Amino acid sequence: MSASMSHEASAEPNLTPMLDMVFQLVTFFMLVINFKGAAMDLSLKLPVVGSARPLDAKGKEELLVLNIDHEGQLKVYGEPKADVKGYIAEEARSFVDSAKRKNSNFQTGDALPTIVVIRADQATPFELLNKIIKTCQDQGFRDFALKAMNRAEG
Amino acid sequence: MRRRRRKKSTNDVELNLAAMLDMAFQLLTFFILTFRPAPTEGQLLLHLPPAQPVTKVAANPDRAGGGGPANPPPEMNALMLSVLTEPTGEVATLKFGTSVLFHGPANKNALARLDNRLKETLASPTSPFDQVTLQVGPKLRYAELMKIVDVCLKQQLPDGKPLTKISFVELPSGVDL
Repeated sequence: MSASMSHEASAEPNLTPMLDMVFQLVTFFMLVINFKGAAMDLSLKLPVVGSARPLDAKGKEELLVLNIDHEGQLKVYGEPKADVKGYIAEEARSFVDSAKRKNSNFQTGDALPTIVVIRADQATPFELLNKIIKTCQDQGFRDFALKAMNRAEG
Repeated sequence: MRRRRRKKSTNDVELNLAAMLDMAFQLLTFFILTFRPAPTEGQLLLHLPPAQPVTKVAANPDRAGGGGPANPPPEMNALMLSVLTEPTGEVATLKFGTSVLFHGPANKNALARLDNRLKETLASPTSPFDQVTLQVGPKLRYAELMKIVDVCLKQQLPDGKPLTKISFVELPSGVDL
């Protein structure tokens, strides 16, 4: 009698529905996680241009994201790059190797099938921006995407 | 019947889900803390060929039409726009070829004038231009540059294709074309 009473008193909640719900939430966050967002410096204030459209890579899957602050400092994954030329040249070499693997006719010196995504602060002077664009052009990059906001935030 | 039920209940295997739930909550916490919704950014796609040397013009002024660096040789097929800047980084003057299109900031009216002028020039069936070269003062702010690039990218060439070829040339500081 006493044993059966103690059995009735023990409360074991059914955790299965809660586990289901938590797994659904985990799945949701896993699906919406944006690894490319890590390449963006969200402290930059982009210019507002009404006709700016979401990125259309036009079959070019490879992107080189360059964040440029108002002092012309290049930042990649949050790290400032002191040697801009060296960094872009190194990236260009890796894109050349990648392009050669995909297309045997590709030769060094051809225009790279990569889009350079420039995320520059709206106050960045042209002279600093142009230095980076020129460096990219010297390394064979021809396609550029200048990032802007569709509408002012806040 | 009673016997069967009792037997079944004693053979029931109950998994302890608490450990799995703990782990799932830890994963959930990680994803919530690292969650950053992507900003709604747009972009202007450009094909930027390397800038042509404007010094060619000075070497052959007759072919350039007698102008300075604002007049490229005809074989370049590039329409030249020159943007002179205020020390604050605003647009001071915009020149369309050699003629001044507007003075002052690049506001809506000024940009509408640029848009109309570009349409007249680029969409004409006899237009020799297939690209635009922007000569820009060194202090021009990126936001101001994007306004002008935006107007240029709205243009269509006589064959109906959108204009995407734009090249940039930096003007020496303090230059007055």
